[in-house]
Amino acid sequence: METINLLLELFPYAILGSIAAGIICSFLGVFVVSQRVVFLGAALTQAAIAGVAFAFLHLLNLEELLAHAFGIKSIDDSFLHHFEHTFFSLLFAVIAVFIFSQSYRQKYLTKDSLLGIIFVVAIAMRIIFIQKSPIAEVAEIESILKGDILFIGSEEFFTLLIILIVILLVFSLFYKQLKFVTFDADTAAAHGINDRLWLLVFYLTVGVGISLTTRFVGDVFTFAFLILPASISILVAKRVIHVFIYSTIIGAIIPPLAILIAFKLDVSSGPTAVLVVFILFLLVFIYNRIKK
Amino acid sequence: MINSSSNLLIKFSDVSIGYGRKVVLKNLNLSIEKNDFIGIVGPNGAGKTTFLKTLLGNIKPLSGKVEKNDLVFGYVPQRDIVQPLLPYTVHDIVMMGRYSFLGLFKTPGISDEKIVNECLEIVGIGNLKSMSYNSLSGGQRQRVLIARALATKPDVLILDEPTNGLDTPSHYSVLNLISQLHDESHLTILIVSHLLTDVANLVKKIFLVEPGSFQFGLIEDILSEENLSKIYSSNFSIKKIDGEYLINSKHDI
Repeated sequence: METINLLLELFPYAILGSIAAGIICSFLGVFVVSQRVVFLGAALTQAAIAGVAFAFLHLLNLEELLAHAFGIKSIDDSFLHHFEHTFFSLLFAVIAVFIFSQSYRQKYLTKDSLLGIIFVVAIAMRIIFIQKSPIAEVAEIESILKGDILFIGSEEFFTLLIILIVILLVFSLFYKQLKFVTFDADTAAAHGINDRLWLLVFYLTVGVGISLTTRFVGDVFTFAFLILPASISILVAKRVIHVFIYSTIIGAIIPPLAILIAFKLDVSSGPTAVLVVFILFLLVFIYNRIKK
Repeated sequence: MINSSSNLLIKFSDVSIGYGRKVVLKNLNLSIEKNDFIGIVGPNGAGKTTFLKTLLGNIKPLSGKVEKNDLVFGYVPQRDIVQPLLPYTVHDIVMMGRYSFLGLFKTPGISDEKIVNECLEIVGIGNLKSMSYNSLSGGQRQRVLIARALATKPDVLILDEPTNGLDTPSHYSVLNLISQLHDESHLTILIVSHLLTDVANLVKKIFLVEPGSFQFGLIEDILSEENLSKIYSSNFSIKKIDGEYLINSKHDI
């Protein structure tokens, strides 16, 4: 109890932010896993990281552009620093989504191939951007790129919260359309639903969610929480609504629990969260096999 | 624009179809009328799917004119492509047939529920409403997909390989259901199948697609051993036993 109180005192936003990030990933993960585009998560996390690496090149003077656009003299450095990284992370993820969404036009280029291309090109870009960055310490940049749950402050938490609300809103308002096109796009199109538009909305929402959580909590946490909570829920749930409920509950509970375990064992919280959710997956999987 | 009082539903005039610059079929001239029962057959890659997509409006014709009024299409895809990981119930899936009528934000209401229940009864699976789609047999899944298409209250029902991979009893049971939908509900039906015997015994007209061209007309005018042998580059035998067609590729005999 003492440790919990200490953690709440030291890292209140990290705990809240980890819950928000966990819910975002585990909710989106249900669609990503059921759509069988798990590799989309890997490709988008790498695209988002390449975007953050691009921001380190300082090729565009966003400070001047923003100051000019809003008619102000100067912008707070901290805000700009976060804004630039977040902006480019989002931009790269959205570009990746647009490239991926063109897969329906291709006869000989499969979704898998396109995702593989995005994945390796994003990694290659990240390496080159870091090498060409005016900041000398490559290791320092790498650690920023990877994100860390404990570095989540109030700004990051509120950004994650807004993204979570937007994602829940989009999926609640357009549940019918998104459900139909992710279930059976051909029939949705035949029945007069614009499958290309709604799939683009779906992928863009996933892209925004993934890029921002990657930016704040790292690619390993994001990718793991996209896959594992949804996979666990699909193993046990009997109804679609239960899959969403179980997955978001897992996404909300495991990250703060992992912070506590990591604090006690003096290890990194992101990888701990991944291992804890994996252990849960293993237990559920074994229980399921025994039950059958 | 087609006169709504006429029997004509869809008219293709000098239509070329394909993707980008690639023409798959050209000079398509055909009319589909109310209560037509048409089989679409042809070798793999000849253009059956491209024709369907053009008909549904998913791809635009490369040239020519496709006339149709505001028709509602009920589409039954190949069963293999509908393999959900999520535990959707039969009701969930059939209700999807109502989604295109609900607008952007509206949720299904009592009338939609009623239509879904009716469609489940029509295809004979009213008792499976709460079951998970994944737990059903192939034949039952096919009926769910047909019920979903019927839930659109379609002017034209399109079925893509509806008996693929079904065991013999399910195969004939699904064919009987399709035949029943045409005879009793007077639905206009288009069925794509690679099983020539099924199509010949089921439909009235046939759209025989061959690479680059097509033939369209009554079964008895189109189906001949010579015609099929030419299109499929294989010898065919066509027999009629007790009024039923039996079509075999010669190496099958």
